[in-house]
This record gives sequence, C-alpha cells and structure tokens, in this order.
Amino acid sequence: MARRSLPTRILLYALLVIVICIFMIPIVWTALLSVRPTITNRTLPPTLIFKPTLRHFYYCFANPGLSSHWLIASLVIASAATGLSLPFSLLAAYSFSRFKFSGRKFLMFWYLSLFLGPPIVFLIPYVLMMSRIGLVGKYPSIVIVYQTFTIPFSILVIKSFFDEIPVALEEAAMVDGASRIGAILRVVIPLSLPGIIVASMFAFVFSWNNSIFPLVLSSRSTKPLPVGTLNFFATTGITWNYIAATSLVTMLPPMLIFLVLGRYIVRGLTFGAIK
Amino acid sequence: MGLIPGVGVIKKETMLNVKHSSLPYVLVLPSLLFLAFIIVYPLGFSLYYSFQMWNLQISPVPLGPVGFMNYRTAISDPTFVHSLINTLKLSAAATAIQFVFGLSIALLLSENLKGGNVARALLIMPTAMAPMVAGFIFRYLYYPDGLIPYFLSLVRIPIPKEGILGNASTALWGITLTDVWEWTPFFAIILLAGIKSIPVEIIEAAQVDGASFFATFWHIILPNLRFVALIIIMIRFMQIFNLFDIIYAETMGGPGTSTRTLSYNLYYRGLVEYNIGYSSAIAWIMIIIMVIIINVFLFLSFKGEEL
Repeated sequence: MARRSLPTRILLYALLVIVICIFMIPIVWTALLSVRPTITNRTLPPTLIFKPTLRHFYYCFANPGLSSHWLIASLVIASAATGLSLPFSLLAAYSFSRFKFSGRKFLMFWYLSLFLGPPIVFLIPYVLMMSRIGLVGKYPSIVIVYQTFTIPFSILVIKSFFDEIPVALEEAAMVDGASRIGAILRVVIPLSLPGIIVASMFAFVFSWNNSIFPLVLSSRSTKPLPVGTLNFFATTGITWNYIAATSLVTMLPPMLIFLVLGRYIVRGLTFGAIK
Repeated sequence: MGLIPGVGVIKKETMLNVKHSSLPYVLVLPSLLFLAFIIVYPLGFSLYYSFQMWNLQISPVPLGPVGFMNYRTAISDPTFVHSLINTLKLSAAATAIQFVFGLSIALLLSENLKGGNVARALLIMPTAMAPMVAGFIFRYLYYPDGLIPYFLSLVRIPIPKEGILGNASTALWGITLTDVWEWTPFFAIILLAGIKSIPVEIIEAAQVDGASFFATFWHIILPNLRFVALIIIMIRFMQIFNLFDIIYAETMGGPGTSTRTLSYNLYYRGLVEYNIGYSSAIAWIMIIIMVIIINVFLFLSFKGEEL
C-alpha cells in the first residue's frame, strides 16, 4: 500500500497494539490464573504482581492427576480419529481431483454439507445405535463419530493439493510402465505429502477441540480434556485455578500446530477453497 | 482463488475424463458407505422416531405412531420458537460483527507494518483453541468481579449486578462476544489473504489517479473480496447456527431458557429429558432449515458462475 505520513503510521501502530491486546489478554489472563495463588483470584482492581505457584498444575497433572487421564484420552482420540480418516480421504480426494464423472459435484457438495451441518442432529440417534451395540463410553464410538468431520475435511483439503500436481507427471510414469497404483504411490503421494500432513494436522486440531460428541459418548475413563474440565465445575466452589491450568494444557497443542502451519492456515480453515 | 470449497478452479490438464469407468466411484465408495453408516442410517431412525411417541424416561421402546404430533408440539412450543429466534439473532449478529472487525483488522495488517507477521501469528491463537475452552475463559472474565465488568466500569458502562451471563437480557450478548473474540481473527487472516491476492498494480493505478483510501477500498478491494467473503461468511454462519460448546460452558442455556439455541434445545430435549420422539422432530425441522439456508448461500455465491 501507499506510503503513509508519520502521524498516520503512529496511529496504525497504536491500533495494531490495541488489537493484539484485545485478542491476547484473555489468553494471558488464563495463563496467569493457572499460576496464581487462589487468594489473588478475585481482587478488584486485579492483582498483577504475585508469587507464581505450580501447585495447581501439580494437583491437575500429578496428584491426584485427574487432568492427566483426560490428556491421555484426548491424545488417543485425536490421533486415532486422524489416522482412521486418512485412507478413506486419500482415495476419495484422488477420485475428485482426477476424474470427471457424473455425480461428482453432487457428491462433493454432500461432503461439504456434512461438514457444515449440525452435529447434534444425528448425535441422538447415533447414541441410541451405539448403546444398542454396547459401545457408549468406549473410544471406538467417539473415534467413529469424529469421522463425520475429519473425512469430509481431509477429502476437500487433500484434493486441493492433488489438484496442483499436473496429471502429465502421472501419465509419464505410466508410459514408463508403472501401473496407476504405482504412479499414485510413487508420484502423487510423495508430491502431495505436505498437503497430507497439513490436512492431518487440521484433522487432529478439530478432533482435539471437539467436545459435543465426547460430552455424550465418553465415560470416566475416556473423557478428553474439555469434557473432563467440566468436573471442576461440579465440585463445591468452582476451582478456577485448576480449570485454568487444564485449559492452558488444552489450548497449547492446537496453538503450536497453528504456529507450525503458518501460511497453510488460510487453506485449511477454508477447506482448500482459498489458497 | 477457488470457486467452491475444495473444488477450486479446475485446470483442464489435471482432469481425466472417464465417463464410462467405474474407478472414480470405487474410490469414493469406502468413505461414502462409512459416512452413510454413521449419519444416514441414524438419521433414518430419527425420521421414524419423529412420528412416534417415545420418551426413554417412560418406556424403553417407542409407544406407537402419533402422526405429526411431535412436529405440531415443536411449532407451538414457545421454548422452541424462542430458541429458533435466539439462533438466528446469534448467527446474524456474531457473523456480521466478526466480518466488520475482521475486515478492519485485515486492512490494518495489509499496511505492511513492521512486526506484522508476528502480529498475524499471535492474532490467530484464539481461533486455534477449543470453543469449550473459550467458553470457560470468558465465563471467568464475565463474573461480576471479573476483568470484563472491571474494564466496562472504568468507562462507566453499567453491567447487571448478577453478572453479564446471569441476566436474561445480556447473556446472549455474552455468548456473542465470546464467539466474536474467538473467530474475528479467522475473518482477519483470510480476508488479509484475499486482499494480498489483489494485484498491487490495480491498487497503485487507482492511487496514482488520485483515488482516496475509501474510494480504493469501496471500488477495488471490496468487489475483489466478494467471493472470499461469501465463502467464509457462509462457513461461519453455519458454524454459529450450530453453536453448542460455548453455550454449554457458559450458561447451559440459562438463565431460564434465555440463551437456548436450536442445538442446545435439541440436546436438552433429547439427552436431558430423554424425549426421543419429540427431539427427533426438532432435529428434522433443523435439517430442513439448514438445507434452505445452505441453498440460499449457494445461490448468492454461485449465481451465474459455472461450478
């Protein structure tokens, strides 16, 4: 954009600082709350200077260590959901990217609308179905229902990466004697590996952040972090320092993944529509 | 720049025309069958239950067909109508506010200020976190002795003494603000990518011709952002329409039923009151509303454009 005059530039920098503060203060405040002595929680005006303590983290993750169980459940569920979605999405993404067939637009639209539709709508009959086969409260029921968003999402994003690989490369490999499967394994997959990793990272974040499904489907031993944290509300006197400590651990992995993803964030969050 | 999420602008040389091969369908089939099993099959049951009288607290099996009674009950249930209005208010208000703030921040970031990259990386952090966690954080900040009422009192804005979330007339605004905080960065980052994709020459040419900042924005930037904006407005509108986590974390639909949305109301009828027949009818009304909204958006986004 054009050169701005000095006063304008100072104003723009001031605005930028204000914007960053608005979006960072709640996060910083939570971080402070997790290391705050409980007595300084509710003072007005807020206490900014205190002696930080790791007591709350110790309580949550070591003794009695409830949050560490939820952390393990979160890791198991998000990893399994991401892993399970990959083979399904790779196949469909390749088909949508390479072939022009009747019903293609309709099918892609169907996947997109699954992703945008209200999960609560099929949750209730899904719970009834799972309870009939005795899976409520167990990992498979949660990991399977997560596929309703991980598969459509991964298909759309991986497809957008496949689209960037010229079909001539595959055809060249096939002229040289490779089968279609061989061409896919040796040309398409290696070239789109960054895209597959990006899609998996997003699928992991979405699975990690989901709480509506496990709220209904998980039991004591399969509760992931956001649902587990609700336990701290049930005890007498809401224990905000524990909630903050657990919340901090819940939000850090997705934040780190977003830092790593960098310029791919736009592509992932728009399902490959905007690059 | 893509045309439809995932579809993109299709370059001819990356596509194979295989009208008479079954291979494309074979590749799609595993995911299609799998998802049909998880979604379509339960939804089929839900359609059947919606015409049955069935409350799990009364009977472990459906008590028989009741025609459209469940649907009539929903339409005449003030809580349902109220939750529909809440949902529409919340989706419209939160999407509009996020879009306006997000666009302003995108314009600010497009100025190539020093530290802009760091700012962008920090800015997206709220969007990375679980909505449930954002709900926890804001529930704490909204307490009468919390940070937000404190800041509001510094600028002499009165807040209800039972707290922002404790008052029926402000609670929905509390929910809205939480979602706006979490997702405004999403609009900012994506609209920024849209602005950056506009050729610099076009903007510079306008400025050489003496166009003001506002004229450049109105006649060049905004029309070029139309497509990106419609896509993300659609995505966000739908996501807020389905909003559940933040409400569960902050108000549980209360006080009373003042922050019940369609999703929360459905959850409550089905999984708290166990009224399976009635909640199935609500679910199907929701599906119909969703289909209408998605089609309106698609019409607005893609009219006159070849998919």
